[in-house]
Amino acid sequence: MLKRIVVAAVGAALFLAAPANAADSGYFRGKIVTYIVATGPGGGYDTYGRLIAKYMQKHLAGSRFVVRNVPGAGHIVGANTIYASKPDGLTIGMFNTGLIYDQLLKRDGVLFDLNKFSWIGKAANDTRALVLSKTAFKNTDDFLKAKGPIKFAASGVGSAAYNDTRILADALHLNVQIVPGFTGNEGEMSMLRREVVAEVGTAESMEDFVKQGHGFFALAISGDASALPGVPRAMQYVKDEHGKRLLALINALSEIGRLTAGPPGIPANVLNEERQAYDATMKDPEFLAEAKKLDLDIHPMSGLQVEGAIKGALNQPPETVKELKAAASG
Amino acid sequence: MHLDVAFSTLFHLLTTPRLLLLMTVAVPMGIFFGSTPGLGGKLGLVLLIPFVYNMDQITGAVFLCAMHAVVHTGGSIPSILIGVPGDGPAAATALDGYAMTKKGQAGRALGASFGASTVGGLLGAVFLGLSLPILEPVILSFSPAEFFLLAILGITFIATLSGNSFLKGMIVGLFGLMCAFIGLDPSTGSPRFAFGQLWLWDGLSVIVAVLAMFAVPEMISLGVKGRAFDISPEHAAALQKSGADIPSSAGTQKVRYGQIWRGMWDVAQHKWLVLRCSLLVAGIGIIPGLGGDAASWMAYGHTVQSSKHPERFGKGEVAGVIGAETGSCAKEAGSLLPTLFFGVPGSSGMAIMLGAFLMLGIQPGPTMLTDHIDIVWSLIWALVISNIICVIMLITAAPWIGKLGSAKASFLIPYVLVFALLGCYLFQGNWQNLILVLVMGSLGYLFKRHDWPRAPFIIGVILGKIAEDSLLKALGIWGPSFFWRPISLVLIGLIVASIGFYVWRMRKPAAVPSHA
Repeated sequence: MLKRIVVAAVGAALFLAAPANAADSGYFRGKIVTYIVATGPGGGYDTYGRLIAKYMQKHLAGSRFVVRNVPGAGHIVGANTIYASKPDGLTIGMFNTGLIYDQLLKRDGVLFDLNKFSWIGKAANDTRALVLSKTAFKNTDDFLKAKGPIKFAASGVGSAAYNDTRILADALHLNVQIVPGFTGNEGEMSMLRREVVAEVGTAESMEDFVKQGHGFFALAISGDASALPGVPRAMQYVKDEHGKRLLALINALSEIGRLTAGPPGIPANVLNEERQAYDATMKDPEFLAEAKKLDLDIHPMSGLQVEGAIKGALNQPPETVKELKAAASG
Repeated sequence: MHLDVAFSTLFHLLTTPRLLLLMTVAVPMGIFFGSTPGLGGKLGLVLLIPFVYNMDQITGAVFLCAMHAVVHTGGSIPSILIGVPGDGPAAATALDGYAMTKKGQAGRALGASFGASTVGGLLGAVFLGLSLPILEPVILSFSPAEFFLLAILGITFIATLSGNSFLKGMIVGLFGLMCAFIGLDPSTGSPRFAFGQLWLWDGLSVIVAVLAMFAVPEMISLGVKGRAFDISPEHAAALQKSGADIPSSAGTQKVRYGQIWRGMWDVAQHKWLVLRCSLLVAGIGIIPGLGGDAASWMAYGHTVQSSKHPERFGKGEVAGVIGAETGSCAKEAGSLLPTLFFGVPGSSGMAIMLGAFLMLGIQPGPTMLTDHIDIVWSLIWALVISNIICVIMLITAAPWIGKLGSAKASFLIPYVLVFALLGCYLFQGNWQNLILVLVMGSLGYLFKRHDWPRAPFIIGVILGKIAEDSLLKALGIWGPSFFWRPISLVLIGLIVASIGFYVWRMRKPAAVPSHA
């Protein structure tokens, strides 16, 4: 009897002493984790970053998360900063998936290798779509038959949206004229003013423009059929292999939006703990409710899966890189 | 116009203690950020965004709007008292405001500034409310072609602000234009004038430019002289005769309520100038693409050009303070419109506000007018109420605020430089900006020392990038035929008239404003 009581007492003591979270090694207790957002405050990346940081703090017992904005050079400065940080798990952050293009094109200023980041997870899909002005085109076929040049609005030369536009034009053999330099919703305003007639971007960012009746989704460039139901897929209009390869690249990028990563070399147990906290965040009902309130799309993927997806996206044959370079340089 | 919603939201704001308290807290915060050289309203917004994260939409938006609405009023304080502006718009106030302080009229300059900024802010809010029904066609009438020509119109003011030497002004202005082109080439995406430095890809910050040309040179000059300014016995006698404040010792003066009221009376006497500048700047603010900084300088430029005595500007002309301050504050209301209704920020401050709105769950777009008109009117009233609270606070505290101008160099120099450098670093997180502001600041001191105007440099930096981006877009959309668009032709006419008017004035020997 006494033996049973002792065993029960020891068991109870061990249970109470065990961390509440099976992954909680106590490493993060009392420590500050800097979550870097590679943009200025306000805006999509900052909103996602702050929300994720808030709930990762909840799921990494004893930790305190501090969000730090490190903008510059189209997310490159922020990504460089994360890459160069001490690999102790105490500096992680978020940056644009479009940096995959920058690495493939060997852009100046890129000091990181996306293959080597310690990937923690991704939060959303960036379904890319083509939106056309209703005053210019009746439907997708109308657009595909147009002789052109078809005027597109795009953000700065070298940005992900600009590259996507060039790739789409190349893959579909369209006669386009891209007017770069439009940021935020300026492209939609330009369509309202009838200066341009088309724009490629994320479906989420152009949804309101379409809902207000000014434009329509003409092509779904990436994502699966559930992302934009009823919208023709761009891939079905591509006839040649090089076009299919380029569109496949856009598709790969769009599935890994709002990435969170740490520098290379984070110890495996620490990285594992962060990944588990991230996964728990993505399933947390309070997080999901808050994301819904902020109208944020949540389609998570684990760090291991992101790692595989990034490697796949970067592992392009030389001819695809050459085609990408030609398309991006216009 | 939804008058019922307009009055119900006003009633709600005035009868909800929490909202009134938040606005009362936000106003001194806005004054603090605006009046501390280097910090500025944008940094204030950045630091406050995390605090509004868990507020409801109206509370969070009203709090941020109230803070941001009074930043430029606060920015006029160091501009006038020590010649150190906190941001681009405040630099225009410094040209005449600081000159007035040197003449012993600090109180009058402050009073004019407080009055003009309050009236400008109120008129801007009225303009905002009255514009709601015609908003969409007005905003959509202006395209990159018009943005380019408006920027060129603003650049012609370089001539107006060149003071005694048109050649010196043009050289400095062109240097500013050259600095505006630092960054990524918009047509190729390649770095330009970046010297392999990643931190220069986003270009030269206006904050760095303003602090380099004004804050650093003024502090170097202060350090060399050992006091804020000298007043000669002859000048003291002239002050005594005119009834203005006499400094108790060289470099000190008291700000009295009499001078404050005198300055506010000046605003009433320049009522048509105030009205013109408010409408001009609110109208410019409504057009996304030109930016808020440009609007203030255009108001100042218009004030100089439309004056019968342009030679007095830069030497302490109260109308210069009134025009600049009216412009600084009226533009915020105008720039709120494209931000709310199109999701396109009308100024750099509004770009940050837009992010905050999204975080609060306020989705900008035309549905704001139909589904969220209560939020729109809450923001309009927040602008009005915060400007009123601001002017009451500043007038009450004016004698104590005035002591800043009397501060010893040993206190003022480290205070200003620390905050200026802090602001330069915090805005973009680049330590390299600290070195840049000191190097360019030395250049600014040389300009000041050898009587070269510095204002044209700021105009060049602000408007150069806008002009280039807009020109490339306009050429991309229409080719050179964009010059024949109806509004473009009107703007070309204004540009020609502006230059012609300046040339005609140059032929009059006394009619040259002095700016250094």
